[in-house]
Amino acid sequence: MTTARLDRLIGRQILTANNRLLGRIEECRAEQRDNSWVVREWVIGSAGLLERLGFGVRLILGWKAGRSFIARWDQVDLTHPDRPRLNCSVDELKRA
Amino acid sequence: MDVAHDLLDKHIVDRNGHELGRVDGIVLDVRPGEPPKLTDLLIGASALGCRVNPTIGRWVHALEHALGLGHLRPIRIDCTRIEEIDDKIKIDLSAGDTTADVVEQRIRTWLLKLPGSR
Amino acid sequence: MKKIFNVLLGVVTSIGGFVEAGSISTAAQGGAEFGFALLWAIALATIILAMLAEMAGRVATVGRRSMAAAVRERFGFHYQMIPLGAELMIDLLLLAAEIGGVAVAIKLLTGIGFQWWILPVGLAVWLVIWFGNFTVIEDGVGLLGMVTIAFVVAAWRLQPPLNSVATGFLPSLPNHDLTRYAFLTVSIVGATVSPYLLNFYSSGAIEEKWTEPDLWINRVTCYLGMGFGSIVSMGVLITAAVVLGPLHVQVNSYEQAALMFVPVFGRWAVLLFACALGVGCFGAAIEITLNAGYVLAQSFGWPWGVDKPRRDTARFCAAFTLVLLLALMVGILGFDPLQMTLISVALTVVVMPLMVLPFLVLMNDEQYVKTHTSGAFGNGFLAVLTILGALMALVVIPLEVFGG
Repeated sequence: MTTARLDRLIGRQILTANNRLLGRIEECRAEQRDNSWVVREWVIGSAGLLERLGFGVRLILGWKAGRSFIARWDQVDLTHPDRPRLNCSVDELKRA
Repeated sequence: MDVAHDLLDKHIVDRNGHELGRVDGIVLDVRPGEPPKLTDLLIGASALGCRVNPTIGRWVHALEHALGLGHLRPIRIDCTRIEEIDDKIKIDLSAGDTTADVVEQRIRTWLLKLPGSR
Repeated sequence: MKKIFNVLLGVVTSIGGFVEAGSISTAAQGGAEFGFALLWAIALATIILAMLAEMAGRVATVGRRSMAAAVRERFGFHYQMIPLGAELMIDLLLLAAEIGGVAVAIKLLTGIGFQWWILPVGLAVWLVIWFGNFTVIEDGVGLLGMVTIAFVVAAWRLQPPLNSVATGFLPSLPNHDLTRYAFLTVSIVGATVSPYLLNFYSSGAIEEKWTEPDLWINRVTCYLGMGFGSIVSMGVLITAAVVLGPLHVQVNSYEQAALMFVPVFGRWAVLLFACALGVGCFGAAIEITLNAGYVLAQSFGWPWGVDKPRRDTARFCAAFTLVLLLALMVGILGFDPLQMTLISVALTVVVMPLMVLPFLVLMNDEQYVKTHTSGAFGNGFLAVLTILGALMALVVIPLEVFGG
């Protein structure tokens, strides 16, 4: 069992299975099961934290929405929370 | 529920509407073969410090220890106690069931020595 | 009827509370060195302030959150700690400058060096906050601040040529010392659009328990109150232009600035200037001190509010007390208050883009303003202001070095 700080995972870079930089974890989507909250999926974006700023920053900077992915909980390996990585190929991820 | 958008940094209020603080950190329990579970909401300076940088978190926790608060911080709220997630996070506890008010109470003790501290 | 009275009171107290160390010093310097040519900068800065304050008031009234709380919740602590840290640093310097301004005002009246008055003034600020409530503090400070109307009276009595004054509202380039002109333009904006004002205003809206039906009060207070308040600033500039300009006085101290009242008020000049400076700076010192408490408590989620019993807001009280103590420590070092004012005003400009950027997001997020989102005009204004703010932030330090 590993304990991780979810707030430290948000904004952290995530690697692909072959150690390439995929992007940053922008959001964690959780759902309630029984009385607990469990992670359902992770939103990964190449624009990173700026995506959280939303439309306003894009308006000023002319930022084009980069590639964003959605990874299921079982597609992300958190054995080492400081170095999250995919345990599947990028093609298996959903596009946001 | 989007954790960063809906939970993190929001105010936590108890069953009486009393504000305990903000969600400064969230603990995740990761087990092989199971979806990671949100176990605790963290409130407090050391939780926030750790969020910025683990070393800063350790320094702040050391300071809390020096002030006799180490064993009380950060405040942990079991995620199963979350009742409602809206503008504020409502929990099924009262502030007295947690150590949320300890620092406030200690500073209040000094303040009450001043005239006019109604 | 009571509401209308309260709104009028709000407008009047906005006028009385408008000028402080930053606006007096930059307007005095601007008038003394460039005549009426910087009136447009005061007008522009006031429009920027009024629009941003109205937006901050809207977030507080509709979203029930101050700006500091909204920024923490919407952007997260990683983003917020930078403008938070910057605002606290600027507030500290500006607070020291405002307390210094009051101390100089008392020195003008008593002849006793300003450093001796720093601690008593700081204690007075603390006592007003400790024993007061929001209405008494805001209205009391604002009403006393009506003495600053003396600047408008002086400007009127000097009978400046109206067509020259009118020309001053059109942006123009000076015929001498462009660097200095640019520095004073940017300083006037920084002195008027202080970061503390926006969070203080939004916190005040929550202290006054404004709700959606009160949005019109928010608009009236911002546009009319601040609009009329800027007339006092313009009074400072015009008076300095007419009296000090021909004497080629570069205003480097408040004692020099006081000379602007002599032709109009004669033997009452020093007394009136000292009262106007002292009350203006005292009110600002109270607001900045309170705001330091607000911004820390709101960011970290502590209970806050000057209308709540002090025993229920212990960390909030400790926070503003600590910031006031730190400012007093800076103040007793003896730096010239006017110079400290100009440095803090320049630093305000440096952080301005960080201050403005959150508005662009919050004013379009229904979680914070519900249906009262900014339209194309509001968003356009914010986008232009963010770019303008970024440009000013880039040039202000070089301008301070070469033109300050």
